[in-house]
Amino acid sequence: MTGIVIAGVSRSFGTVRAVDNVDLTVEEGEFFTLLGPSGCGKTTLLRMIAGFCELDGGEIRFGENRIDRLSAHRRDIGMVFQNYAVFPNLTVAGNVAYGLKARRIPADEEARQVDEALALVQLTGYGERKPHELSGGQLQRVAIARALVIRPQVLLFDEPLSNLDARLRVSMRAEIRALQKSLGITAIYVTHDQEEAMSVSDRIALMNAGRLEQVGLPVDIYRHPVSRFAAEFMGTTNLVKATALGLAVPHWVSLRPEALHFAEEAPAGWQRLPATVARIEMLGPLTRLELTLDNGTLIRMATLDAPHHVPAVGAVVSLAFDTTRLTVVP
Amino acid sequence: MRLAVPHRQRLPLAIASLGLLFLAVFLLYPLLNVFGASMLDSEGQSFTFANYTKMLGRPFYRAAIFNTVGIGAAATVITTVLAVPLAFALARLPIPGKAAILALAAMPLVLPSFVSAYAIVLLLGNSGIVTKALQEVGLDIGSIYGAGGIVLVYTLTLYPYVLLPTVAAFKAVDVSMEEAAQGLGSSPARTVRTVILPIVLPAILAGALLVFIETLENFGVPFVLAEDLPIFAVEAFKLFIGETAPNPASAGVLATLLILTTVLVLLVQRRFLSSRRFATNARQVPPILKIGPAFRILATVYCWSIVLLALVPFFAIVVLSFLEFRGPVLHGNFSLANFATLFDRDLRPMMNTLVFASAAALCTTLIGVPVGYVVTRYRSGVATVLDVVATLPFAVAGTVLAIGFVVSFNSGPVILTGGPLILVLAYTVRKVPFAVRSASAIVHQIDVSLEEASISLGRSPLQSFLRVVVPLMLGGILSGVVLTWVTVASELSATVVLYSGQWRTMTVVMFQALEGGGAGIATAAASTLIVLTLIPVVLLYRLLRRYELG
Repeated sequence: MTGIVIAGVSRSFGTVRAVDNVDLTVEEGEFFTLLGPSGCGKTTLLRMIAGFCELDGGEIRFGENRIDRLSAHRRDIGMVFQNYAVFPNLTVAGNVAYGLKARRIPADEEARQVDEALALVQLTGYGERKPHELSGGQLQRVAIARALVIRPQVLLFDEPLSNLDARLRVSMRAEIRALQKSLGITAIYVTHDQEEAMSVSDRIALMNAGRLEQVGLPVDIYRHPVSRFAAEFMGTTNLVKATALGLAVPHWVSLRPEALHFAEEAPAGWQRLPATVARIEMLGPLTRLELTLDNGTLIRMATLDAPHHVPAVGAVVSLAFDTTRLTVVP
Repeated sequence: MRLAVPHRQRLPLAIASLGLLFLAVFLLYPLLNVFGASMLDSEGQSFTFANYTKMLGRPFYRAAIFNTVGIGAAATVITTVLAVPLAFALARLPIPGKAAILALAAMPLVLPSFVSAYAIVLLLGNSGIVTKALQEVGLDIGSIYGAGGIVLVYTLTLYPYVLLPTVAAFKAVDVSMEEAAQGLGSSPARTVRTVILPIVLPAILAGALLVFIETLENFGVPFVLAEDLPIFAVEAFKLFIGETAPNPASAGVLATLLILTTVLVLLVQRRFLSSRRFATNARQVPPILKIGPAFRILATVYCWSIVLLALVPFFAIVVLSFLEFRGPVLHGNFSLANFATLFDRDLRPMMNTLVFASAAALCTTLIGVPVGYVVTRYRSGVATVLDVVATLPFAVAGTVLAIGFVVSFNSGPVILTGGPLILVLAYTVRKVPFAVRSASAIVHQIDVSLEEASISLGRSPLQSFLRVVVPLMLGGILSGVVLTWVTVASELSATVVLYSGQWRTMTVVMFQALEGGGAGIATAAASTLIVLTLIPVVLLYRLLRRYELG
């Protein structure tokens, strides 16, 4: 168990600053996520920690030990890859035992630890199978068992769920988080999916163009984004001038769709807004509406499915919102 | 002191440097000497273009250039015209025995082409069996010697170079493209012409280019069939080894011109193909087309006749080797005398062939696999240079490389001439591009993250390469070893320049028997070569099949 310190780390590819002077501290046992769109530098940063990408500047420490000059195979990390990277020529057990063999663990101890790791990922009895007999979800479990079994100082996940179908992603992410918490191994997780990030993480670092946009608790970044980029990346939002919402402040603000309510259901003190329904999108549990304000501004709103409260397109309605849920963005 | 090289780059850099060093000493240095020899005046003192003007001033050598390029172009065109319909039939038409056709069609790639040429002489030459038989019924087929015969043998032995990639390309065409064309109202014939052919064109051209380069560099076929027709590789050989005084300067001129021609062709092809790369992602193999019975019979006859016709010379020579010869004259009795004479005289050539081929296959693999790995995984600096240099032997005829070896290692710090090592080194340099290409193709298919997974689990890059990459490459490496082995065992063009005394190989025995008129020994040597070539290939084929099934 180790905390990770990333200090002033940079890396350029040609003229592109893939990672630009990043400072981060990950606590012991923390589940930390690097989140951002493709090309934001999150994977480069993860690969630097793993040792597959050199630093142009800065340093990385695991606890007290500086590791950025250490060969990748001496860093004592467990890494889980997007495409599983399960060795196709070895059995499931052979895959899980791979790192133990590199550490010269005695055979009986090795067998015990392999069984234990397979049990952890619910693959007991799959030891003698070959990878081509397994489904994508099972392969990723093998990869996770293989990374866990060596009890690494740090676990790294590189978009581990991207190749799985939507349903499996949701259940696997809960499992990954539960495993990490039960073992207490510090983990860094890379994803471009904000929902996944919110679901698994203790803290998130949102990245944009090689820089850290915002670092914090998932809920803080969602509710209090520090920039337009953060506000929009963390979920659908209304980015409008405050004056368009009838407020006398000269700022841009972010207002989440679910913060808007129909006026008849809202407390009396909330700000009111007359609007016309332009479009309705029914998603099952959620209904999304697009409305036009009198000044022409387009506003997005989301409500839970309520059969008796869905207005028709063209209807003039009164909206209301709590001004404390507005976030001023620069 | 710390190395300034990042830890990730150390292993590839070491491999690349060693590879480059090897190729610098045994490829670039000899080629430089060939070039140097062509540029030096008769005293070897100052640089001059006199050798070039002298050689190009002679009609004989101008004719050599013209003949070589002309024959090559003719063979390339005919090969392509024959092989493309064959490829289409094998990919898309209901032809009985397709697997067998494809297996048989690959055989000319490993069988020595000069053996085929020699068989053609025995069958259709001035005193050939078929010629004689036809003369008895009053038919004269004319002379097989000269351009016609050479083009015939090239066609029969080189067509797989076009066929095999084109079959693969036809199979990789996305069906939905065809469906889209036909949905837009295009007839099947028009669809083939306007949609499918353009997609497979790069594959056809790549194959045709291989054929053309093979014809430029081939020594054995024109040596057997050219008679008085001057051909590049043969004339370079004669000038260098010649009965009259050896003439490195003139040989150097021809060698340099030959390299320049090949490089020019390669550059033209690269230029042409780079603007015409169509990638299609076929989800499934395109369906076999439904055709009428008449067309089907026609297509079947076409496919089987080309494939079998190409193998007739080899078959004939095996049969002939078991018949009795008196001098060059054939008698119809079964006899093992040819083999008895061949092996009674000396078993050394056989042993030499086996040992050299094994040593060269080993060296080629040990160099080709790591180099192929590095040029695929690391695209920077030394690796890029290495990639270019490692492709170079491809453009260098065996004769030319051998001349360079003799010029370079006949004196000075490293003397190799007269020994066996020079042969093994020349073979290795010649086969390295193939090993690099095939290794590189396999490495492309192995996901980088497999290696990274291994490294992150605590294995060093070298151990990860040996434990993860090599096992996954094993099938491909084994194929490469066998292919190198068989092509080295039947290598002629460099061998005839470099062999000496007791280090004769089977190909040299055959070559000498050809010159000396010992037809019996030549056929026995040829069929021994055929058997030597086919046994490993068949074994490999069976092994790989079992590997795939298990």
